[in-house]
Amino acid sequence: MKLRTWAFCLSEANQNLLRNPVLAIASVTTTAVSLLVLGVFLLLSANVNQIANTIESQVAVRAFFSQSTTPAQESAALVEVRGWPGVRSAKLVTRAQALSQLKQEFGNQGSVLNSLGSANPLEDSLSVTASAPKDVSPLAKRLNGLTGVVQVSYQSQVVSRLFNLIDGVRVVGLGLGILLVLGALLVINNAIRLGIIARRREISIMRLVGATESLVHWPFILEGLILGLIGSLVAAGVSWWGYGAVYSSAARSLPFLPLVSPTPIARDIAGILVVLGVVLGAVGFRLSLRRLARV
Amino acid sequence: MISLRNVSKVYPNGVAALRGVELEVSKGEFVFLVGPSGAGKSTLLRLLFREEVPTSGVVQVNGHDVGRMRRRQIPFLRRQIGVVFQDYRLLPQRTVVENIAFALRVTEIHPREIKRRVGQVLELVGLTDRSGAVPSQLSGGEQQRVALARAMVGHPLVLLADEPTGNLDPQNAQEMMRILLEINRLGTTVIMATHAAQLVDRARQRVVAMEDGQIRRDELAASYSEEVVR
Repeated sequence: MKLRTWAFCLSEANQNLLRNPVLAIASVTTTAVSLLVLGVFLLLSANVNQIANTIESQVAVRAFFSQSTTPAQESAALVEVRGWPGVRSAKLVTRAQALSQLKQEFGNQGSVLNSLGSANPLEDSLSVTASAPKDVSPLAKRLNGLTGVVQVSYQSQVVSRLFNLIDGVRVVGLGLGILLVLGALLVINNAIRLGIIARRREISIMRLVGATESLVHWPFILEGLILGLIGSLVAAGVSWWGYGAVYSSAARSLPFLPLVSPTPIARDIAGILVVLGVVLGAVGFRLSLRRLARV
Repeated sequence: MISLRNVSKVYPNGVAALRGVELEVSKGEFVFLVGPSGAGKSTLLRLLFREEVPTSGVVQVNGHDVGRMRRRQIPFLRRQIGVVFQDYRLLPQRTVVENIAFALRVTEIHPREIKRRVGQVLELVGLTDRSGAVPSQLSGGEQQRVALARAMVGHPLVLLADEPTGNLDPQNAQEMMRILLEINRLGTTVIMATHAAQLVDRARQRVVAMEDGQIRRDELAASYSEEVVR
């Protein structure tokens, strides 16, 4: 099509939008809200993921020595472990240290441990932290093979429960987002349908005077794209700007929280939302194609 | 130019609108299509610009088999055919000029050429001084002349008019008739379905009379005739 024909289609699409501004605003709003919810869930899940990974990497793996292991063997093991790849730090925890730590954790109830008397049922152990979460489980396996080590434990259950929770949140969020996107799709589709009904006359006259079907379709395609695009730009803008604000305020007041830096992720998510919005508009048109054929 | 060979049309609701119609119209002819309501006049016209497809038989316009034409070719057929209806079918929010130009804008003609041609047809139908008005500001006769101008602006080979004077008073109907004959004189084939006996009788053109989906009479320089029951 020639440029002025595109201009013609665009002005027809604009007339549609202006003829029913309430519906246009409703379409833009539902699109924006549903995409925003989707964006928020994407950002949330990226952050929860990051936090979980951080927690997991901070989980210490404990390798317990048998009672018969000599201090020399233990310090040799410590030196060896420190040389392994994937190990961030390693330290030796003697049974005495372990007991006093336990007492500390019991706090006011620490006196119950007095009943032990001078007996200490605990064992010497190595406390090892991994440099990355993926290193944790191979590290545990390798520690198990050290001489003198009888048991290795790390809080895998805690971490896996956390991950289960995150997965649950993600499924619910994604489901909600998809439902909202479907809702937005229906509203856009409805706006286009009403546009078709309002312009029955134009459409039949266009066909009568020999307009090609693509010329009949394009104003409505553009209408859908405009609705989807505006809605998604709003959602993308709010999520990008909003996440930047949340991030910088969190950096000030909750510096220990390892949030994902906004520069790549918020921008990428904003881009995804815009693409989704345009797709929504196109699909919204596609769904009303049959209605258009019946005019 | 136009030929219908053994054409029948049965609508999905079972109504047989045309039954074995044979018709030939040469280039430059003027044909009145007369007959009572429901005789099949409108259906015949609708087959010519592919608004309907024949149930059987062959419809040809300018060498094209209209009934078997591919969908994507239909627009190009319609650009060669001008159509005028009893109810004008104008766009209410647009001016006279915009309504007429609309028919050319969809064919991607250059705006300068559109302007030139719109000026020509406005002159032809005598509405040059009403060019900025919207349909609601025009009389029925003027609206129908705008519709006629829109049908003619693409320089069609054929003009189809389905009871174009049906909503007009006698004076406007006569003016309409005068313009249609002028258009025909300038070389366009015209087929006009009508009930206006007076106009037909005065024009002395070819008359094709239909009844019950069949052609009952086909005479040159004929009259509306009393045998055709209204």
